[in-house]
Amino acid sequence: MDVIQAYLNLVPVTLSQSLIYSFLVLGIMIPFRLLSFPDLTSEGAFPLGGCVCATLLMAGYSPLLATLAAILAGAGAGAATALVHLRFRINSLLAGILVFTALYSLNMRILGRSNVALFGADNIFMQINPAILSDVRLQVVTFAILIVAVLIALRWYLATQAGAAMRVIGINPDLAPSLGISIWTCTIAGLGIASGLTALGGALIVQLQGYADVGMGTGILINGLASLVIGETITGRQTVTRQLLAPVVGAAIYYQLVSLALSLGLQPSDLKVVTAAFVLVTLGLPMLRGRSALRETMRA
Amino acid sequence: MAPEVTSVGMPLLVCAGLRKTFNAGLAGARPALDGADLALNRGDFVVIIGSNGAGKSTLLNTIAGAIEPDGGSITLDGREITRLPAHKRAGLISRVFQDPMVGTAAAMTIEENLALAEQRGQRRGFTPHLDGAKRDRYRALLAGLSLGMEGRLSTPVAQLSGGQRQALSLIMASLSRPSLLLLDEHTAALDPRTADLVMEMTLRIVAEQSLTTLMVTHNMRQAIETGNRLVMMDAGRVRDDIGGIEKAALTPADLVEKFRIDNDRMLLGT
Repeated sequence: MDVIQAYLNLVPVTLSQSLIYSFLVLGIMIPFRLLSFPDLTSEGAFPLGGCVCATLLMAGYSPLLATLAAILAGAGAGAATALVHLRFRINSLLAGILVFTALYSLNMRILGRSNVALFGADNIFMQINPAILSDVRLQVVTFAILIVAVLIALRWYLATQAGAAMRVIGINPDLAPSLGISIWTCTIAGLGIASGLTALGGALIVQLQGYADVGMGTGILINGLASLVIGETITGRQTVTRQLLAPVVGAAIYYQLVSLALSLGLQPSDLKVVTAAFVLVTLGLPMLRGRSALRETMRA
Repeated sequence: MAPEVTSVGMPLLVCAGLRKTFNAGLAGARPALDGADLALNRGDFVVIIGSNGAGKSTLLNTIAGAIEPDGGSITLDGREITRLPAHKRAGLISRVFQDPMVGTAAAMTIEENLALAEQRGQRRGFTPHLDGAKRDRYRALLAGLSLGMEGRLSTPVAQLSGGQRQALSLIMASLSRPSLLLLDEHTAALDPRTADLVMEMTLRIVAEQSLTTLMVTHNMRQAIETGNRLVMMDAGRVRDDIGGIEKAALTPADLVEKFRIDNDRMLLGT
């Protein structure tokens, strides 16, 4: 009973965190699902957002500026992966690995050391409402409003001429040029938006926890993919709206499951193998039945 | 006759000395294009035939910009486009692919596909790509073609038959009034009855819009019955170019005799 009680006590905190992780999962969903581009940049873009934001906050810049700078830095990282892939025709997975490996050194340089506690620094939540940091219910409401606003913006964008063109790249790359759609422009824009969202997630989590660590991206991609897959089993993928909701729903459930597993005594370090096994099973089972949810996207 | 037929004396499309070798340097690499010359006048409907490996598809892909030639030049409407990326010439040139799966975006709806095609060659900005006025226009357009698609505007294209997808692909190719329409064996993957329907529709659209058209086919009956010029390709070059009265009088037997066609993919009627 203690175990269950411990878990139940953590439900609101976990929900609040998972809403922030939704940005990361959105940043993973966009390349994988909308662009059919398996993109690993998030392993580096997530800590990049955190490090840029933390460093600027410690230097006394305004939290809004620090957060916007983090988004831009993330967008640059995504664009870099796109360019490595397009210009040098390097496999998309390898392009992502190259960029996040390079980002590890860059993040270390930006932060100055491997981790920084944001003592005494202002942050964006204190500016919105100082009570947010201590009141979990207020956090959930604030983050929910934030993520809904981002979802509405994305939904709008994907129904514009530019957004629809971007979706064609993922659906039928052979058709795109003959419709006058530039693969380069759409890939760079798409990965830029995606990694910008991932970096926003990193910047927000750093400001929520008051702590930045260059290692905060390790394994984050698999967590994100697990969340995405869970979300998609619930929302489906038939429409753009359902595809956009999947990351948020998935993150909420995934992080509750993680919290439950930890309450039951699972070591945090063992969690990664459990998550990897889970992703393998969810992606692998349909493959054994002859079709894979991810197969089309992994082909690129 | 459309006004542009008489307006300018210059050909619309000029391909001069196009050369392309795939896997150059590898042993046994043969040129796919070996100095191909071709000129199309405004309003021309040119049909290209030739055996496998003659360079028909490579020529079409080079004109569309999907393949960059090793040498030679392509001029469209007086403008050199040899090195222009495919997406930048899409406003002038549109194409229908052989594979019905390639010509449409399967996961998108019929109306979304049409909207994307209508935007061909224009700047894509941040205005909604669909609205009520467009939907009404597309519904009317499809109703006129009696394909049973007018009531299914919001159906994903993936749910259409191959014939319907190819018909949609043809409408998409002609929607933005291209200067040049490329048809790459666009009925070859369809059953004979559907192929005839799509071909009929092609002729109607080409005539209505007086489109300058370049069609590759393996179907000899199509080659004889369609277009005002017949071009035969062999070993990466244009070997013969038959137009006017001679083309009109051509029979399948003439064609076999003339080109000594021994290709089993050549179909004598269907």
